[in-house]
Amino acid sequence: MIITKAHLLNFRNHSASAFEFAPAMNVFLGENGQGKTNILEALSFLCITKSFYASADSIVLQRDKNFFEVEGTIEVETGRESAVRVAYDERIKQKKIFINNGEVEKFSEVIGRFPVVILSPENNSITFGAPAERRKFIDLIISQSNRLYAEEMIEYKRILRQRNRILSESDTRLNERELESWNDMLVTFGARIIFKRTQFLREFSPYLMQMYSQLVSEKEIPKLLYAPSVSLEENIPPDEIEILLRKKLEKRRADELRLRTTIVGPHRDECIFSLNGMLLKNYASQGQHKTFLIALKAAEFFYLKERCEETPVFLLDDVFSELDEERSKKLLTLVETLGQTFITTTSENIFGRSPQWNNERKKFLIRSGSVISSIKAA
Amino acid sequence: MAYTSDSIEKLVEEFAQLPSIGRKTAQRLTMHVLKMPKEEVTDFAKALLDVKEKVKYCSVCFNFTDHDPCALCESQKRNKKIICVVEEPNDVIALEKTHEFKGLYHVLGGALSPLDGIGPEDLKVKELLARLQEDVDEIILALNPNVEGETTTVYLAKLLKPLNIKITRIARGLPIGSDLEFADEATLTRALEGRVAL
Repeated sequence: MIITKAHLLNFRNHSASAFEFAPAMNVFLGENGQGKTNILEALSFLCITKSFYASADSIVLQRDKNFFEVEGTIEVETGRESAVRVAYDERIKQKKIFINNGEVEKFSEVIGRFPVVILSPENNSITFGAPAERRKFIDLIISQSNRLYAEEMIEYKRILRQRNRILSESDTRLNERELESWNDMLVTFGARIIFKRTQFLREFSPYLMQMYSQLVSEKEIPKLLYAPSVSLEENIPPDEIEILLRKKLEKRRADELRLRTTIVGPHRDECIFSLNGMLLKNYASQGQHKTFLIALKAAEFFYLKERCEETPVFLLDDVFSELDEERSKKLLTLVETLGQTFITTTSENIFGRSPQWNNERKKFLIRSGSVISSIKAA
Repeated sequence: MAYTSDSIEKLVEEFAQLPSIGRKTAQRLTMHVLKMPKEEVTDFAKALLDVKEKVKYCSVCFNFTDHDPCALCESQKRNKKIICVVEEPNDVIALEKTHEFKGLYHVLGGALSPLDGIGPEDLKVKELLARLQEDVDEIILALNPNVEGETTTVYLAKLLKPLNIKITRIARGLPIGSDLEFADEATLTRALEGRVAL
């Protein structure tokens, strides 16, 4: 897929910005704080209905405005164009999404339709941060390639909140049968999620290894190990995972009542990254972390490309400034093979001494939330 | 901008408090009321008061009714040995439209939802158990296919199992007249799970 046009209204520092994108590379050049990342964020709204890092829609709303809008034209592989419009109204705190003027009822229907891969400085927490960051990472990939998973995840989170409420009030009232009923739901949906995550990590590993070897000349083997809250053997079906989860729930019952929260289930899963058998988190250098992250994201791109009907778009937010020259070059070579890309940067240097801008590769100069110029001819 | 009449302003505000009515629609409704003949307005106001004053819950099935027990529970044409359990009175109307179900209903008044402070004791569950003292052949659970409805179904199934009454749940599947290719993945998956042998 290709995003051909976008229009931002009252979106962060963009009062009204319009873009016509190139089908291959789009570079947003400008000083810090001028609104380059905001453009990528707007594209994220078009593809996955939300920002890739702001926790709430209202955060991206321009100050003193009561609504924002992002409109985009997306050309899908069959050549057909889809008009996507995301509109947020602060007065009623509501977001609406329209595809070809039809309102989308369930946002999960949009996820995966216009796949996107995002590499941004916030992503450093995927390799450095808490397990939740890694779960978020794998959940977004699976959700984009499997819409049912996206829905099951939403339902699981709802079950979890409901069950946690019961546990939090367990000292004043605890209806055994009621808790049992929520246990049944937790176990059913939990098992489906664990099953799909297991399946995913098995399929995803070869992609990671291949991408990593493209980025690094030395022989380093990256590995992903899934550590769900119940220990699993290979190829275990969901109904057997259910039994294991149920046993674990019984075993941890006293702890749950004491802690008043659910401690068994896929929301406690961990995904462990390692390099040559050594834990990435504890032993890897800064450079190795960066390379690992880029390999993860490139692997995500190719994984989604083969599973979605559309080739994902790739958003790179200020990535090059953090890399040494060799890694920058390798990443740029990789990026050239990725389909449509959107890159923010403060310096043009990474593109060589005299970069070629043309119909395929476009450069946009961004200053104070406006497009100063877009250059396609050198 | 506010109206120059406090009465108009007040009515607009009242309308706007109703679900799915914004201020614009509220203004349009108010203008309409202003143009209505006085008798119609009186009837309208009376209808509003009547639903509050006359409507009560049926002491058997807990549906809305003017006369207790309700017409459905009193009817000689209904099969009293089958009870269909639903969440809200609106669900009864939906099922009645089919003209297919000839049994009785039981309205729970919601579904289990700890986040909203709704536990089993807030639903008409005890009352359902009381009804089962009489001769009942089958309980049909027809709750909403969301997390809360599903959990309530699980809860009731556990509760009713020892009573040795046939318990069924309505099937989850595809809407009639729709195309398979346009069904969403969740619906299709549930429909596959609920497939029947031919």
